[in-house]
Amino acid sequence: MNIGNRKDIPTINEYESRLADLYEEYYDKVARYVYVHIGNKEEAEDIAGEVFLKALKSLNSYREQGVPMQGWLFRIAHNLTVDYLRKMDKRRTLPTDSVVLVGNDNPVDTAQKNIEFERVTEAMKQLTTEQREVINLRFFGGLTSKEAGGILGKSDGAVREMQRAAIEKLRGIMGVEK
Amino acid sequence: MMTEDFDRILDECIDRINRGDNAADCLSDYPAYSERLRPLLQSMHDVQKTYTFTPSADTKRAARQKFYATLGKQRRVTPVLSLFRAIPRSAAWATIAVLVLAIVGILMIQPILNPPMLVPSPDGNFAFLISDEPNDIGDFESLNVTISGVGLQAAGSVKRFEFTPETKTVDLTRLQGEQSQEIWRGNAPAGQYSQVYIYVSEVTGKLESTGQIVDVKLPSSKLHISMPFEVTVDTVTRFTFDITVVATGNNGKYILKPQIGDSGTRQEQKPLE
Repeated sequence: MNIGNRKDIPTINEYESRLADLYEEYYDKVARYVYVHIGNKEEAEDIAGEVFLKALKSLNSYREQGVPMQGWLFRIAHNLTVDYLRKMDKRRTLPTDSVVLVGNDNPVDTAQKNIEFERVTEAMKQLTTEQREVINLRFFGGLTSKEAGGILGKSDGAVREMQRAAIEKLRGIMGVEK
Repeated sequence: MMTEDFDRILDECIDRINRGDNAADCLSDYPAYSERLRPLLQSMHDVQKTYTFTPSADTKRAARQKFYATLGKQRRVTPVLSLFRAIPRSAAWATIAVLVLAIVGILMIQPILNPPMLVPSPDGNFAFLISDEPNDIGDFESLNVTISGVGLQAAGSVKRFEFTPETKTVDLTRLQGEQSQEIWRGNAPAGQYSQVYIYVSEVTGKLESTGQIVDVKLPSSKLHISMPFEVTVDTVTRFTFDITVVATGNNGKYILKPQIGDSGTRQEQKPLE
């Protein structure tokens, strides 16, 4: 593999600079993406840090074919999340009802947040794995439908369709507060 | 066909909301679809609100330091590796012996050939501050503005660099005149910028005179300044965004506005890594 030898391929230094540029913009998004999968904020933050380190160390294998660098970051995040869940022997893709949000709010607010968290989490669980991934990449990763499609191996049209079906399903389960 | 159109419009609204726009703006752009769109965008809002959190500033800082330390180490070895990559495959074996000797030589004089590279500092090359130009701020006991994100628009490009502040809520009554508060520090891509956006999720004003909570309007949920400035790798650019609150007549209503005259950058030299 010869990154940087041809004029049309960015050099490894250019890729490194691009990754550094993405760091500030995508660290939070990657952390939220992971959090939706594992339901633990501290672990999600640690995994987000690992995603960028792994990307940095794997830049030699990065190829910009249909998936921009930010999409590649979410692929790495997905793989690290799967590894984490395997390690923790949590064979699930979403936080469960054992997750309790603790905050500095008063007990009533905290209880309300917990109820809301359970309501949304239960609804998310009803989606197919692909629908959930589309929602996660679009709502938390901030990727476009085309970028999400690049990761999922789908056309952007297919992603838009899955996205609409997923949100309609969520709406049906959660209801809508007027 | 209708479904495809709707999918496209829903997709566009989601993109716009992700960029900091209001759901209401998108609904008003597509009145024929708004009845169907509204509950879906509300569901999006509910899901985002449930899972969105701001990572701890300390954890993020530690992760950033680790990232840049690794980047720095990686860059120091890259020039030597790139010598191998530059050699045509057919001639590689023939030149290996020469290269081994050359590498030994390079390693011996590396401090001369390989000076410290310009790697962005783990502490950041860009700081973002909020300040308040006193207009009607004296009417308030507190005026809390919650900032969900900041965007820097690259000059002559559609690229926008966005970040989430480490400090999200600022009380403008404490930031009057020369006072300012740093809400984010990190690495921004070096280059020319032309505009700055602040996305505001909540404004809560409490009047000094009555203790009453009043309505402070912010059209389109964002504040925007057009101003050219430059961010470089080797200096810390400190951008102060000045916000002011003004009464909109005698009806007890207020509006938040950006104050371009008091906003802008200051650059500080920082030591090279």
